[in-house]
Amino acid sequence: MPKIAAGVLLLAGIGLFTQAVLAVDERGVELGGPTLAPLIVTGLWVAVAAAYALQAFRAEISQITEGVRWWTPLLLLGILIGYACVLKYTVVGYVLATAAFYFGAARLLGKGRERITRDAIVAIGLSVGIYLVFTRLLGIGLPSGVLPL
Amino acid sequence: MNELLHGFADVLSAQNLLYAAIGVTIGTLVGVLPGIGPALTIALLLPVALKLDDPTGTLIMFAGIYAGAMYGGSTTSILLNTPGESASVATSIEGYQMALRGRARAALATAAIGSFVAGTISTILLTFIAGPVAKLAVSFRATDYFALAVLAMVAVTAMVGGSLIRGLMSLTFGLFLGLVGIDSLTGRARFTFGIPSLLDGVDIVIVIVGLFAIGETLYIASRMRDLPAEVAPLEPVRKGSFAWLSRSDWGRSWRPWLRGTALGFPFGALPSGGAEIPTFLSYTYEKRRSKNKEEFGKGAIEGVAGPEAANNASFSGVLVPLLTLGIPTSATAAVMLAAFNYFDVAAGPQLFEKSPALVWALIASLYIGNLMLLALNLPMIRVWVKVLQIPRPVLYAGILVFATLGVYAVSGNIIDVMIAYAIGLVAMFMRHLQFPIAPVILGVILGPMMETQFRRALLLADNDLTVFVRRPLTLILLLLAVAMIGLPHLPRLFARKRLAFGEED
Repeated sequence: MPKIAAGVLLLAGIGLFTQAVLAVDERGVELGGPTLAPLIVTGLWVAVAAAYALQAFRAEISQITEGVRWWTPLLLLGILIGYACVLKYTVVGYVLATAAFYFGAARLLGKGRERITRDAIVAIGLSVGIYLVFTRLLGIGLPSGVLPL
Repeated sequence: MNELLHGFADVLSAQNLLYAAIGVTIGTLVGVLPGIGPALTIALLLPVALKLDDPTGTLIMFAGIYAGAMYGGSTTSILLNTPGESASVATSIEGYQMALRGRARAALATAAIGSFVAGTISTILLTFIAGPVAKLAVSFRATDYFALAVLAMVAVTAMVGGSLIRGLMSLTFGLFLGLVGIDSLTGRARFTFGIPSLLDGVDIVIVIVGLFAIGETLYIASRMRDLPAEVAPLEPVRKGSFAWLSRSDWGRSWRPWLRGTALGFPFGALPSGGAEIPTFLSYTYEKRRSKNKEEFGKGAIEGVAGPEAANNASFSGVLVPLLTLGIPTSATAAVMLAAFNYFDVAAGPQLFEKSPALVWALIASLYIGNLMLLALNLPMIRVWVKVLQIPRPVLYAGILVFATLGVYAVSGNIIDVMIAYAIGLVAMFMRHLQFPIAPVILGVILGPMMETQFRRALLLADNDLTVFVRRPLTLILLLLAVAMIGLPHLPRLFARKRLAFGEED
């Protein structure tokens, strides 16, 4: 794990540093100009990432990745992104999208088949509750969608 | 003093008292939820509070939310052994052991009363120190601010967490996020990758929601099985005790409360990363000099009383640089600063000159929030235990809904939501790889501040770099920053830290 992270960090750092260098125009780097800080920050990034990589490859960093299930957070992130896209790009509306997302996320985080009714009830109650409080009480608009609310 | 009385007069209106009460209740309610600390509580409630349209009322509510969130955090640490932030880790060591041995009420009471004592004393200290410091700060120049920002950043990075390299990496990530957007002096776009909505930069609320809410939930999702799910039961109230503490509990608690306060306030006021260091120093100190040494690790009340007091006192300390200089030294302070910015209230020496009513109302509301906390929380402990028993899937799915809503309500932009998710993914890996989170936030807030002051100073000095070493104050601050980098390498401090965390506990 730390080795992969070190690699990613180092690559990202080099990429960003290159960006910072390319942003310097013909006037060069001015002390009070806008290109100095990006160079310093991304330069620091590369240096620190290199130091971290050194530690990682010398195996000086302890690994605590036993018993970690990577699929759950990645799936969760997937339905999060889906949820945001449905909210933005479709006419489903806040209440339905949120209820569906909540139900999915709660099922994913739960241990098994138990408590389907609980998750469903909370999903509907929470999404309707938030919608009413935000649009009626706080005056923050949320997409109403296909439901006649 | 007169100004403080005016502050009290402002706060003591029925409406503001209501705000304070709502703040304390919501703060505790959200703070009790496992894994949610004060910084995230404030960030999530920011969009709601912004709708109030009344800066004084909102800040009063924030003070209440903060106090409540801190107290809620200690409840979670004691009853569930899941500290929401590093400052409550020390409390959870002895607190959870006490709860397991049927002394949960005593642990909760010593934490609450200790918080009240520490909060009140340190707010009094704040009252007397803030004014003079602000007067002093008026004479600060751009170079001093630059040096202060450097010092604050370096200090927090060096002090928080175990590894300097990982701390620096977190800080650099934050500094980078702070760079994204249009350069305020020249109007040039930096690191916007051609995405229009990045021109405004990455909002601090998005960063905080991503780092704490999304990151924490994803992290929890990846290791759901390892978490303790059992809430320690509350024992029946014992006879002959006052406020759940027996005579000997009072006798063993009051000195640690005072010592914790004495440690917490100065550490908070100095740029040293807020409450993490003083809470552990307090824990170590109480452990070393306690007459009941053998009880440590099995639920010693001193080990709860001291760190909790230190934790609360350090917050009033953190307010000193935040209010007088506009420099945040902890994650929560950074969120408070963001809240100030939303109201166009500029924290710093001008704050005391331009809006003294606001400052003193805030300070007055800290006193009231503390009092309200004590009055509300111990009697309502059964409610908080119920909140703690909310099943994890229900809770964390709900947090994701609220996090998305929080970002969406602030910006109404889907790219911002995606950025929050991306930051959350990064934060999950950071937690797995033990990178500290706080330096990221300080980087985002202090980075742009530092750059602006640096360039302003150079502009005034005709690009003469020696301006940063000519002024004694600037030079001293910068040298202190250099010294801070070396500090964690002092073997002694390391040994101490290990003692606090070590296997013997």
